Amino acid sequence: MGNNLSVVICDDSVLIRKKLRSNLEKCKCEEIYEAENGNVAIDLVKEKNPDVVFMDIVMPDKDGMEALQEIMDSSPETKVVMASSAGTKEHLKKALEKGAYDFIQKPVTLEAVTNIIGKIIKECEQDV
Amino acid sequence: MFSQYFGQFLLNKSFITREQLADALEFQQSVHVKFGVIAIEEGYMTPLQVEEVHEKQKQVDKRFGEIAVELGFLTDEQVQLLLSNQKQSHLFLAQALVDRGYMTIQQFSDALETYKKENSLSDEHFEAMKNGNIEKLITNTLDHAGNEKFGKYVTLFAKNMIRFIDDQAYIEVSQEKDLENDWLVYQNIIGENPLFTAISASEDVFLTIASIHAEEELTEVDELAQASVAEFLNLHNGIYLVNMSNWGTELHMRPQEVVKDATVLGESYKISVHTQRGVFHLILSDRPEQITLNPSMDSELV
Repeated sequence: MGNNLSVVICDDSVLIRKKLRSNLEKCKCEEIYEAENGNVAIDLVKEKNPDVVFMDIVMPDKDGMEALQEIMDSSPETKVVMASSAGTKEHLKKALEKGAYDFIQKPVTLEAVTNIIGKIIKECEQDV
Repeated sequence: MFSQYFGQFLLNKSFITREQLADALEFQQSVHVKFGVIAIEEGYMTPLQVEEVHEKQKQVDKRFGEIAVELGFLTDEQVQLLLSNQKQSHLFLAQALVDRGYMTIQQFSDALETYKKENSLSDEHFEAMKNGNIEKLITNTLDHAGNEKFGKYVTLFAKNMIRFIDDQAYIEVSQEKDLENDWLVYQNIIGENPLFTAISASEDVFLTIASIHAEEELTEVDELAQASVAEFLNLHNGIYLVNMSNWGTELHMRPQEVVKDATVLGESYKISVHTQRGVFHLILSDRPEQITLNPSMDSELV
């Protein structure tokens, strides 16, 4: 049985999307959508109203920080988890200031995804 | 690690043939036991813990022992003990060459001495290199200008090659001019110390890197294969940005691009990266604004 969370994966790399999807499926996420840049992710968030977005930072067209800002403006209840290979303190600070839920370092491991999804499920249960 | 570099020296000096070197390195690899394996063998760590440290090494530029201690899997004393078991892997190379009759012990020992003299190495520096100190090895491999401009970057790249792709990989400075290869992946680092970074590879080697990094067999350079090599460069550059940030320099990355049959024009520093499955090139420039591609790309480089 699924965990009822809907998730958007936003990354320009098809490899990362594939690996992240596989990890999310192992965490029993059933409703998973993919976006290859920030613009597509923003549209998906409007359309699907997901619980969680996994957002890459460095992307063509619209990068992850800009997309985070727009998502926070339009649907502040969405939990946006930033994922980057460059987990510098500056990136982390900027992301949290803009309202990101969390920040994970790439390559994204199953353990990191499991922890985040577990934390979100727990919070959702407490909110009910 | 030292064996790959010293083996290349023996080959360049015609002490041994390419086949003899490949044979000896293969033997050395077969008897070389990795740090994590010794840790399991000694009962210090579980396979799961070793795997966790390997995963962590893909995110941060730290040694196996350092991470294992941070995670509470090993004590400092255990790390020292394990390191002493792992050192001097060049002795296995010596053993392989002597056992097979390719060199005598005296010739090997003389060659080591010549290597040390030709590279003007102090006893301490040479000892560190023999014990697998990668920073010292790379410093010795690059020329002065290379060390000055790209030393930190190339040292990290050599480490990440070993961590992500091929534990037998070694690098040397390439004298080739305008490299044209089947595939080129590039990414610009912007900020105070901008950098053009690129991997240029034949289709075969490109697919090898792509398959290893994607952890699945890829037989054609499709979107997934391109994404895999691009992501390898991106992960490496990300770790470089974290290192530089820790040293007080904030940098940012542009998205990576993959192009076919392109040549990098403009002054650049080229490194040949030797893997067990072939050679590819790392191309760097600290003046990315002067780099162009032929044929030119629609998107701006910088």
